Amino acid sequence: MAYHLTRRDLLRIAGTATLATAAAPLATACGSGAPKSDTDGDAFTVYWNAGHGYQAYEKVIDEFEREHGVTVNFQKYQWPDLRTRLLADLASGTVPDVVETQGAWVQEFAVSGDALSLAKYVAADGAEMGFPDDWLPATVSRNSHEGEVYGLQLHYTCSLLLYNRTMLDAAGISPPSTWDDLLAAAKELTTGEVYGIALNQDSSYAWPWLVQNGVRFYDPDTRAVLAPREAAEEALRFQADLAHRHRVSPVPVPSTDYAGPQKLLSAGRAAMIITGPWDLKPIADTSPDLELGIAPVLRQKEQATISAGASMMVPAKASRPDLSWDFLRRITTLDVERAATREAGMLMPRKSWAEQPEVQDDEHIRAFADGLPHARDFLEEIGPTGRSGEIADNLFKTLYQSIVVANTPVSEAFAVFDEAAGRALAG
Amino acid sequence: MGRTRRRSRRRTLDARRARTAYLMLLPAIAFFVLFTYLPIGNLLTTSAHSGPRADEFTGLGNYTRAFTDPAVRHAFGITVLFAVATTVGALVLGLALALLLNRPLRGRVVFRALLLVPYLTSVAIVGLLWRNILDPELGVLNRLLAALDLPTQQWLITHPLATIIGVMLWQHTGYAMVLFLAGLQGIPEVYHEAATVDGAGPARRFRHVTLPLLAPTTLFVSIISVITGLQAFGQAYIITDGGPAAATDLYVFHVFNVAFEARDFGYSSALSFLLVVVILAFTVVQLRYGRRGEVRY
Repeated sequence: MAYHLTRRDLLRIAGTATLATAAAPLATACGSGAPKSDTDGDAFTVYWNAGHGYQAYEKVIDEFEREHGVTVNFQKYQWPDLRTRLLADLASGTVPDVVETQGAWVQEFAVSGDALSLAKYVAADGAEMGFPDDWLPATVSRNSHEGEVYGLQLHYTCSLLLYNRTMLDAAGISPPSTWDDLLAAAKELTTGEVYGIALNQDSSYAWPWLVQNGVRFYDPDTRAVLAPREAAEEALRFQADLAHRHRVSPVPVPSTDYAGPQKLLSAGRAAMIITGPWDLKPIADTSPDLELGIAPVLRQKEQATISAGASMMVPAKASRPDLSWDFLRRITTLDVERAATREAGMLMPRKSWAEQPEVQDDEHIRAFADGLPHARDFLEEIGPTGRSGEIADNLFKTLYQSIVVANTPVSEAFAVFDEAAGRALAG
Repeated sequence: MGRTRRRSRRRTLDARRARTAYLMLLPAIAFFVLFTYLPIGNLLTTSAHSGPRADEFTGLGNYTRAFTDPAVRHAFGITVLFAVATTVGALVLGLALALLLNRPLRGRVVFRALLLVPYLTSVAIVGLLWRNILDPELGVLNRLLAALDLPTQQWLITHPLATIIGVMLWQHTGYAMVLFLAGLQGIPEVYHEAATVDGAGPARRFRHVTLPLLAPTTLFVSIISVITGLQAFGQAYIITDGGPAAATDLYVFHVFNVAFEARDFGYSSALSFLLVVVILAFTVVQLRYGRRGEVRY
């Protein structure tokens, strides 16, 4: 017998569908990517950089899961996506348990009250894990705010000049140690399709030149940005001249990809690049025959370069901070650091790491380790303002591209930068 | 008396039918309320606040700031340029391709499909594809030009906005073409035959028959293209990162950076709401003036 829907049936169906629609967002609020709330007790969410998912860390995670009876939800993102995700989570109040961070994020989130102070954990476990005595001092200060530790350094690296040894040897050139040496070498090495040096489109790669010229991102006493100004203008002008006046570097192409110079070096189209140890593996993988040399830290007014690296923090609203701290503690042991270095050639923040055979027996890693004492954290003073995201990522990028990419006169570019930076600092 | 009762029964029946209709519409209304109107309400509330957590009340401060912010003015200006250029391009190229592929050509089905493929491809894939093609040192396009002894170009440095307009057109023209094809096939052949009998050549038939009868399609394509252009994000995010020196800092990309780099959700909410108002204004103006060109035979 055929069943006919009555009007009442239709109303019931409509009502049920309405309820289902209304309930859907509630049911999916903890969907695939969202961090689990504290009611989902067995899930432990970690946000991590996509390039740092080493086997050494996976092993630590396996042990962590076994010991605590949790499942680690190990979510990997590119840095910009990780920041977007984290800010959305902080706004919603549903946060992950541990976050890997870069630049001055730890200080930025400490200032805004979104990062958990690790002071009580450091007081309890610091001596046993060698913190802070076995950590390079800069790696402690860049993760602290008003005397309290808010993050632990995971990797600690620096930028150096990498070069194609075969090309330099063929031209009878020694690795440059000053800007003048570098310019002369770049001119000599630029032939046909080969550039003497390849500048990076990523504005943070401008900073080794700036710190070599004695520039600070922010002076808290005078509230001046990019000071001393003449030195900042000179350093940026020098880079623009490499591309536009001397034509020894391709003009960097704006994009989100910072691997352009590495690809040119690997392809034999550039003789020198400035980069960090993260490019060692891609170079070895894509051009195993390339004779790679690493020059000592360049000198202009000072012999200096910039530090880089990643830290970890615990969001202030993390539901199980004790567990989060245990994760941080386990992943920063010397054994794990050594394993990550063997696996990926990554540099680490512990002083004792630098003495290990993985470092001393590898020419390239040792060169970077030797560069670390000259490394400066260029975000160190802008970080505590809480405005580093806007000023260092947005405004400085525009300034760098105006001068080095678009070849705009420095005074004109700085006028635009100063107005915007002033507004940002005023809040 | 009987008539009054019948009228009353009809009114009751109408009311019950209306109630049924509203109840049947409830799921859709609930969906729009939850996923569109509540977020817009939330956006408006947030836009009246400032600070990293959007918890300091500023009233209309974010709106007045938007009107005096040179970066916002710049982003809005280039976005309008982007939207106008991509709309005009989509109309002209889409119509030209539709006219071409409306003819009895061999393999026209294949051509139509090929032209639609970019539209069906994710903007992320299109962006990565073109970023690699346009790379001045390692990209295919400059390699090809060099092989042909032609001067190579710094596509993303000298004319970045024009370049991403070109990429947008490459991706979206196929969709405009499909809409125009549908419009062309809806024009009865009898009008063209009558015009031909009256002595009109191909150009006059196109101007006085085809174009006026395509007016509703043209209006639809232009509205969709303007909205898509004003909301463009992926091209700036993936191909140019907004550069060089903010030359491709499209409005939505700028709003994204205000929210997720500068961490100013209040200001970004105000900027987002202003874009909604602008899109509504553009659409109303287009509808009002676009319908004047419509004809019926």
